[in-house]
Amino acid sequence: MLQRDAYKELEDTIGPENVSEEQALLDGYAWQPSFSSSPKEKLDIWLWRPRPEAVVLPGSTEDVQAILKVCNRYKIKFKAMSTGWGAWNSPGTEGVIQIDLRRMNKILEINEENMYALIEPYVVGAQLQAEAMKKGLTPHIIGAGANTSVLASSTSMGGYGGTGISTSMSGRNVLGVEWVMPNGDILKLGAPGSNAGWFCGDGPGPSLRGIMRGMFGAAGGLGVFTKCAVKLFHWPVPHEVHVEGLLLDTMIKIPENIKFYFCFLPSFERFADAAYKIGEAEIGYMLVKQTIGSTLATMAPHLLRAIAQNQSIKAALNAFEHIFMFMIAANSKRDLEYQEKALKKIISETEGVLITISDMPTTASMALWGSIRSSLTPLAFRYSSSFATTLGSLVAWDNAVLQSKAGSEIKKQFVERGELFEDLVDNPWGGIYEGSTCFGHQEEIAFFDAHDLKTHKGWVEFEKTCVQAAVDTPMGVGISALGKGDIFGPLAGNYHIWQRKVKKAFDKEDLADSTYYITPEEK
Amino acid sequence: MELKDYERDMTGCSRCSICKWIPLNQIKSWRFANVCPSISRYNFHAYSGGGRMLMGLSILQGRSELTEVVTDIIYKCTLCGACDVSCKQYRDDIDISETLQAFRIRCVEEGQLIPEHTVMIDNLRREGNVFGKPKTERGRWAEGLDVKDINEEQADVFFHAGCNYSYDEELWPIVRGAVTLLENAGVDVGIAGGEESCCGGRAYEIGYQGELEKYAEDVIGRVKASGANKLVTACSDCYSTFKYYYPKIGKALGVEVLHITEYIDRLIREGKIKPTKSVPMRITYHDPCHLGRRGESYVGEWKGDNKLLRPLKYKRTGKEGVYTPPRNILKSIPGLELVEMERIKEYSWCCGAGGGVKEAYPDFSIWTAMERVEEAKATGAEAIVTACPWCERNFKDAIKESGERVEVYDVIELVLRAI
Repeated sequence: MLQRDAYKELEDTIGPENVSEEQALLDGYAWQPSFSSSPKEKLDIWLWRPRPEAVVLPGSTEDVQAILKVCNRYKIKFKAMSTGWGAWNSPGTEGVIQIDLRRMNKILEINEENMYALIEPYVVGAQLQAEAMKKGLTPHIIGAGANTSVLASSTSMGGYGGTGISTSMSGRNVLGVEWVMPNGDILKLGAPGSNAGWFCGDGPGPSLRGIMRGMFGAAGGLGVFTKCAVKLFHWPVPHEVHVEGLLLDTMIKIPENIKFYFCFLPSFERFADAAYKIGEAEIGYMLVKQTIGSTLATMAPHLLRAIAQNQSIKAALNAFEHIFMFMIAANSKRDLEYQEKALKKIISETEGVLITISDMPTTASMALWGSIRSSLTPLAFRYSSSFATTLGSLVAWDNAVLQSKAGSEIKKQFVERGELFEDLVDNPWGGIYEGSTCFGHQEEIAFFDAHDLKTHKGWVEFEKTCVQAAVDTPMGVGISALGKGDIFGPLAGNYHIWQRKVKKAFDKEDLADSTYYITPEEK
Repeated sequence: MELKDYERDMTGCSRCSICKWIPLNQIKSWRFANVCPSISRYNFHAYSGGGRMLMGLSILQGRSELTEVVTDIIYKCTLCGACDVSCKQYRDDIDISETLQAFRIRCVEEGQLIPEHTVMIDNLRREGNVFGKPKTERGRWAEGLDVKDINEEQADVFFHAGCNYSYDEELWPIVRGAVTLLENAGVDVGIAGGEESCCGGRAYEIGYQGELEKYAEDVIGRVKASGANKLVTACSDCYSTFKYYYPKIGKALGVEVLHITEYIDRLIREGKIKPTKSVPMRITYHDPCHLGRRGESYVGEWKGDNKLLRPLKYKRTGKEGVYTPPRNILKSIPGLELVEMERIKEYSWCCGAGGGVKEAYPDFSIWTAMERVEEAKATGAEAIVTACPWCERNFKDAIKESGERVEVYDVIELVLRAI
C-alpha cells in the first residue's frame, strides 16, 4: 500500500475520481496473459503480474508531470500504459503505480499538407485511420490490431503492420514527441523542441530517437510519452469506404483501383526472391505472409482441429506453405496495369502461382478491409484461446525468412510432442517494409491454451528455444528480446551496455519500471 | 449458472480491450468509436467488460473481496451486451454478458445490495412493478379501448404492454395506438389490463434470480389460459425476457413471441396496414439493446468444459436480433427519410436505462443517453425513433434536462401518423 501522504497527493493532483487502490480493480491491471512468461505449476496464478499499488488516470501532460513529481518525492516506481495489451504494459515488480493514459485520447491535429497526425496516447489505429481517410490519408497500423495505441507502438515498442511495404513501421514513422522524463521534466524531441511544429522528429530541436526508442522501444522504462506526431500516408481511394458487416461477414464495394492476390511460392528461397523483386520493383500496397495454418486457425478453427488428426491432409496442405497476400492500390489505370504486369512477371520468374481474389466479393471484402484496417489478427484466439509470437527481427529480408524457417523447424518438435497446437507448423507473420527490402520481418506464431499446463509450458519453452537459436545462429534481435538485453546485447554492438547507461542518465532514481527495457544492474 | 461456472471464460480474457470498441471494421470516426458506456464514463479498466471479468476472477480466486466499491462498479453497467458482441468477433469461448449476470446474482447472494435496487424489488413484491406504482392502476392505459379482456375471453394474440407502458402516461398513446393498429388490421387481440404482471426481466438483470422464475410462471399461466397463439409486446425489455431468459430457465412461453415492430412489419407486407400519409421528417433509428443484440432467441446450452469446442450455433453474437423490421416499417412511411447513426444494430450504443442504471445511477444514465443524442444530431436528423419504452423515456428525460431540441418517437407513433 502506498504511503497515505503520497496517495493523498495523487488525489489532490488529479482528483480522487481518477485514483484507485481498490484491490479487485487493481487486478484488472495485473492480469496480462499475452506474452506473459514464467508460468508456474499452479494454473490459477499463471497470468497474474505484480499488482500495482494504485492506478492513476491523468488527463493531461501536466497531470502526468505532477504524478511523476509525486513519485519522485516519495520514491515510488511507476509504469505507464495506453491501450495495455501485453505483459509489458503492467508493473514487472511490486511497489509500482500504474499510470493508465486512457483519458488522454485525442487526435489533436491531422495535418493534410504535411501528412502527419498529432495524437495522444489513447488514440487507437482504427480511430486515426477513420479520420485520416476522410482526408485521403492513412496511418500505419500494427499487426496486433486497430485496437492498439498508435503512440505506444511509435514511441515505446516495436510495431509492424501488414501495409508496411507502403506505410513503413511505427518506430520509423514517429515525428515530433513530447516526453515526460522520469524526473517529471518535459522534453520535446524534433521540431516541437524548437517550437517549430511537429513535422519532424529529428530537428530543428533535439533528435534523440535512438535513445528514446532505439529498435524496440523502452516499453515504459524511460518515462511517459504524452504526445507524438506520426507520418500519414497516401490512401488512394477517393471516397470513404462503405463497410457492411462486422468482421468475417464484412462486405465492401471493392474499389476499381484495388486488386488483391494470393501468391503461392514453391520454397523458402523462392518466397524470399519474390519479395525482393517486389521491393525492387517498388510495387504493392500490402505484402503479408499468410499460411494455410493461420488461415484455418482464424477462419475455421473447428476444421483445423479436425485436420490436425489427419496426416495425409496435413501433408497435402504443407505443399502450400509459402504464401503471401498482396494488395495493389493504384493511383491510376496505367499505374494499376503496370503493377499487375510487374507482379505477374515476378511470380512467374520465381516459379509461383498467382491467384486473384478481387472478383470474389465476400472473401476479398473480408481480407481486404481486414488487412487495411488491421482487424484480423486477434482472430488467432479462436483456435486455442491463446497465441504468441517470437523471433521477428527487423532485419534484411533473407534473415527474416531464415528466422521463419528456423522457427518452423523448432516448432515442429513441440507440435509433435503435443506441447503446442498443430498449426501445420509453417506459421510466421510479417512482410517487407517501405517499398524496398531494406527491412523485413517474420514473427513465428505459436498456438497454446493458457488453461492447459502442457501447452502453456510448451509456449514458454518454445520461446526460450527460439531465443537461444537466434543467439546461437545468430539471427538477429527479435520481439522476444524485450527485457533480454543481457542475452541479445553481445550479438548487436553490446547495446545492453548503452541501454543501461541511457537508463542511468535519464532515470537516476530508477523510478520508471524497466522490467521490459533494461535493469539498472546486470542480471 | 454461478460465477464459478464462468471461470474459464474469465481466465480466457486476453486483455486486448476489444470489448471497449465497436467492431474495428466499423469504426468510422474518432468520436463514435466507443461501444461501452461504462468504461467511456469511468475510465478505469474495471469498468469495461473485460475489466469486470477480471474483478470476478480476482474475487473467485480469493485475491480480493467483494466490497461495496466493487459492487458499485459491477452495477455501473447497463448490461447492454455491446462488449460481448465486440469480444465475440474474436472469441468463441467467452460469454461476457452471462458472466456479468452471474456476478450480479453473486452480489445479491452475498448481500451486496444497491439501495435503489432494493427499493425496486420491494416495489415489485408489493405492487407488481419496479416503480412502486399502485397495482390497481396497471390497467389504466387501456381505459376506453374497445379491446378484448384476455382474462374474460380468448384471443389469437396476447398483447403484453409491460410495466413501463402501463404506468408512463406520456407513453400510453404508443400502446393504445399499437392495439388499435392491430385491431384495425383484423387481428384478434386481447390484453390482460390490470391483471397483467411484470415479466421479471429487470429484476433478474439486477441479480434477483428468484423473481424471474416467479413472474415467468405467472405470465406463462396467463398466456396459456388466454388460448393465444402469439404473444406480442411493444416493450423490448419484456421481449428479450420472453425470448431469452424464460427459455434459459426452462420456462418457455410455448407461443410465438413477437415484438410489435415484427408484427406490424408483417402486417404491412401482407397489405393489412397501409401507411399512405406523408410524414416529412428526417429521422434516425436507435436499436434498443433488448430488441437487438439481446433480443435473440435462446438456442440452448452447450454442455462441455472447453468452449473452444462449442458448436458456433450456441454462440450468442447478437446477429439474429431484430434490426430489419423496424427499419422496414420506417422505410414504408412516405416522406420519412431514415439516416443511420454510426453505431447501429449489433454495435448500437445503449440508451443508458438498462441493468438498473436509471434507478441507481441517474446521472450516468442521462450521460449515456446524451451521448446517443449527440450521435443522432451528427446525422442531421430531427428525431430519434426507437422501439422501447425504456429508451424513449430515457431519451426524453435526457433531452429535457439538457435543453436539446431533438424529438423522440416510437416507431408506432410514426405509423399512426401515416395511417
